[in-house]
This record gives sequence, C-alpha cells and structure tokens, in this order.
Amino acid sequence: MSPVGSSVRAAQGARAGEAVDGRGPAPKSPRGRGGRLAERLAPYVLVAPAVLIIVVLRLWPLGLGVNFSFTGDCEHNGTPVGLDNYAELIDDPLFRTALRNVGLLVLLLPVAVAIPGLLATFIHLRVPGHPFFRSVYFFPAVLSPVIVGAIFNLLLAFDGPLNAVLGRSGAGPVDWLGDPDVAIFAVVGVHIWATSGMALVVFLAGFATLDPALLDAARVDGASLARMIWHVIIPGLSRTIQFVVVTTMIGMLTSMFGLLYVMTSGGPEGSTYLPEYYIWVQQGQMSRPALASAASTVLFLVMLVVGLLQVGLLRRAGRED
Amino acid sequence: MSRPVPGRWLVAVPMALLALATIYPLLFTVNVAMKTRREYVLDRFSLASTLQWDNLGTAWNSVGMGRYFLNSVIVVACAVALLLLIGSMAGFALAQVRFRGSSTLAVVCLAALFIPFQVIMVPLARIMAGGGLIDTYPGLVLAYVAQFLPFTVFLMTSYYRAVPTELVDAARIDGNTLYGVYRRIMLPMGAPALLSVGILDALFCWNDVLISLLMMPSADHRTLMVGITSLRGQYSADIPTFAAGVLIAGLPVLVTYLFLQRQIADGVTAGATKG
Repeated sequence: MSPVGSSVRAAQGARAGEAVDGRGPAPKSPRGRGGRLAERLAPYVLVAPAVLIIVVLRLWPLGLGVNFSFTGDCEHNGTPVGLDNYAELIDDPLFRTALRNVGLLVLLLPVAVAIPGLLATFIHLRVPGHPFFRSVYFFPAVLSPVIVGAIFNLLLAFDGPLNAVLGRSGAGPVDWLGDPDVAIFAVVGVHIWATSGMALVVFLAGFATLDPALLDAARVDGASLARMIWHVIIPGLSRTIQFVVVTTMIGMLTSMFGLLYVMTSGGPEGSTYLPEYYIWVQQGQMSRPALASAASTVLFLVMLVVGLLQVGLLRRAGRED
Repeated sequence: MSRPVPGRWLVAVPMALLALATIYPLLFTVNVAMKTRREYVLDRFSLASTLQWDNLGTAWNSVGMGRYFLNSVIVVACAVALLLLIGSMAGFALAQVRFRGSSTLAVVCLAALFIPFQVIMVPLARIMAGGGLIDTYPGLVLAYVAQFLPFTVFLMTSYYRAVPTELVDAARIDGNTLYGVYRRIMLPMGAPALLSVGILDALFCWNDVLISLLMMPSADHRTLMVGITSLRGQYSADIPTFAAGVLIAGLPVLVTYLFLQRQIADGVTAGATKG
C-alpha cells in the first residue's frame, strides 16, 4: 500500500482495487484537493486488476513465447538456436498434417457459417415450431467437447450404432474414427454439429436488429426466399456475418482440442492433428516446450493472417452492396 | 403477405429432422446409461427394459468422480466470482468514464481477446510454475480468470456503454465518488449482464479440458471433464457405465440450460450486436 501522493487517499470503495493495485484507501471528501486527485485516479484503480492480469498472463506470455521459440530444448535449453525450431516444424510430417488440416478447416468454414445462418433465417421467419428448434439446435453448444466427443465415440465406433444403421440399409461400414481419410471429417463434422448453435443464436440476435419493415416489404413484393436472403438479409446482417465468420474460425482453430483428445488423440496415423494438439503433445508428452512455442507462434500468425484476410474481404463485400 | 404458410411447413420438415439428429445422440446416451451391459451388446437401440440406476452409482464411485465434481465446483465458483468483480469494474470504467489512456487500455483488453490459450500455453505454464501455482486451486482459478477476462471485460463494457452517462453525472453531483457510483449504481444495474456473462464464464470453465490438464497434473486435482476422459479407458468394455459417467458430467449443464437458456443466449449475442 504505497500512497501515491501525500494528500492522496483513494475513495471509499477502493476495496476492490487495492489488493492488486496498491493505491491506498480513502478520504470521505470527493471535493477536497486530494479527493479530486483520488477521483482522477479512480478509473485507473477500477481498470487496474483487469489490465494487470491481461498484460501479465496474456500479452506478456505471447512475447515470451515468441522469444522462447528461438531457443533450444533439452541440452540446448535456453541457448539461442535461431530458426532451428521452425525448420524442424517444417520437416515434421505431423506438423505439416496439422497445417493441411487447418487449410481444410478454412475451406469448410463457409459450410459452418451457412448452416446456422440458414437455420436462423427460417427460425426468424417463424417456421412452425421455431422456439423448439432454437432450443434444440443451441443445446449442444453449451456441452463440453469432452462430453460431445464421448457421445460420438459411442455413435461412431466401428461396431457402433451408426454403422449398424448403415449396415441395415446395405451400405458398408465406415471406420469413422479409424480411417485416416475419414477421421478428420468425422471430427470436424462433430465440431460443427456441436458449435453451430452458438452461431445460430448470434445470427438470431442479428436478425433482431434488422428492420422488420425491410423483410415485410420484400414479402409484399413477392420476393423469393433466395432473393430475400441475397438482397435483404445478407447486406442487413453484414456485421453479424463478419462476427460469425471470425469467431467460427477461431473456434475451429482453438476449441477442437477436447474433441481430438477424446475422439482420436490425433490419430489414426496422425491424420487428425491440428496445431493446438501438436502444441499440447510437444509441450506435455515430448517435453519440447521451445518447439511447442514455435508451433504456437505459427498458429498465431495463421490466425492473424486468416482473420485479417476475412475481415478485409468481408469489408469490401459489405461496401459493394 | 404473399409468402404463404405451406412454404413454411415445407421447411419445417427438414428442420424437424435436423432437430432429431441433434437430440438423438443425447437421448441415445441417456438410454445406454440405463441399460445393462448385456442389453447393450445384444441391441444398441432397444429401450432399456429396466432402468439401471446402479450404473450412475458405479460411475460415480469407481473413478473418484465425486472428488472431480467437487474440484470443478470449487474452481468454477471462485473463477466466476473473480471474473465478474474484476470484469465489471473495468467494464464500467472503460465504458462510462473519460480518462487519459482509456482507449488504449480498452484496446489492450480487446487485443487479448484474440490470443488463444494454445498460443500462450507454454510460457504461461512457465510463469505459473515460477509462482508455484501449478497443481494448486488458486493456480487453476487464476488461469481461468486470465483466459476469460478479456471476454468478460468486453461484454461488460458493451453493456455499460448502453447506460446513459447522465446517470453517472447525476450520482456524482450527489456527492458519490466513482467507487460509490460503481458499487451503488452500476453493480446493481449490471445484474442482467453479470448473470449472462457469469453463466457463460461458468460454462466455459466447467467445460474446459486443456487448461485443466495443463495446470492440474496430479490425479487428485483433476476437474470433472478431465476425469471423464480417464473413465473412458477404464470402461471401454462397459459402455453403459461409461455412458452413465458422461450423463453425470453433462447433467449440471443440462439443468443450467433448461432454466437459463435465455441468459446464455444473451451472453453469447451481446458481443456480436453491440461490439
């Protein structure tokens, strides 16, 4: 508790701020000279805990990690090794698979955005039973990836129910989680199943801000659904769409760990590796933190580039309308 | 109104099918959890003939799920309380008070929103280890607070931004300090947002695996979601018990959802529409 100035006493409610910030407690007179200074400091005291935590445990580690990625592991611990870690990443087939899978995710992104968008459109247009649909579609989004993964482990097992159904209808069984060509699609499919509820709800909130007169006018003019989506809904919701695109992509790149951990552990043959899983394995299993940091840095750059590209593209598309 | 009702019914059919596809995996799991092993092996789809509530007990007792459950409750409760306090203080100041550097600080908080945990995982583990926080409750709580604080600050800021600043001005003319305004006016006014954000933060923390795996290596300190993953190996031959464990872990979320769906949705959407 170091007082900031001799006459300074922060105001009464400093309780919350003092633990982290260290600006003392407080005069009762907000009108005195010291009181005014305390008042001027008050917003900083209020913001300080949040800013401190964010800077120390989010921003600083980011810089630390980048630094760390240029040092060695094991016997070279701490010594600078230049770009060696990055060279090793490029040579590692597992990491290359992880990056290829990122590409796949980016390609699947429009699907992951269009499905909830379309469903939200129907719900907004009051399809019969729409409150029920909304509740049902949203629910998986609040479930843990661990639970979702566990459920789909049962459903997609080679001797599991889905294959039993396929078998009855004559189609051969598919090794959903055991076939290197299929597994990544199975996992991404489950991820989209589980998370599109989030996007759906965001879209619905976007619709709520859309001027209903526009939709009514389009309806009176006899516009088809497709034309209505193209000419009214997409331009009207451009900000929402932008938000959903970016958050969905971030979700795909950073919240599939639970599914991978439970459903495939990166297998079969490493085919379902994503950068986040690779980082986890190198850090936790292989004791290669510096290599993991290099992978982290690459992941961050990928996200930055893809994110900025998307925002740029969407901005331009928005302006043309 | 030329867009007729039949068209809507046409859409309702595939939507109902999709709803079924969404809900079926969950019902399937509940059903399996109530079956005997024999029943499951013979026919996966048949309804459980007698409800095997014992499966729940077996899952609960066998792998220390009770302990994991408690660990999760403790950590989530502490993390959410801290998140709401720190987040609402910062949100109020950033949204309602003009002060030097406020926009810079807002950008700092916003920027952190785009730093995923995986990117800072390795150095964060080092920092936490340096502070002796690995494998401790405060360590995991702090990790959760750090992870979800940017989101919490962001939502609270956008909520408070919609509150007219005249309110603050009036309260200050009445002789309130800024802290008084926060405590007496803004905190109570923020209740709806705090509820939404709090539930969402609670869900995030409850559902997390990666942070928990990183911060709590010892088996005693496992949270429930990490515990579930260990159930899987143990009961690979006893699917009903495994399904029962999954059911236990999912139940709190289901109950929360049934009662507070509106608030959850509000939390999810607040950032999208106001940001």
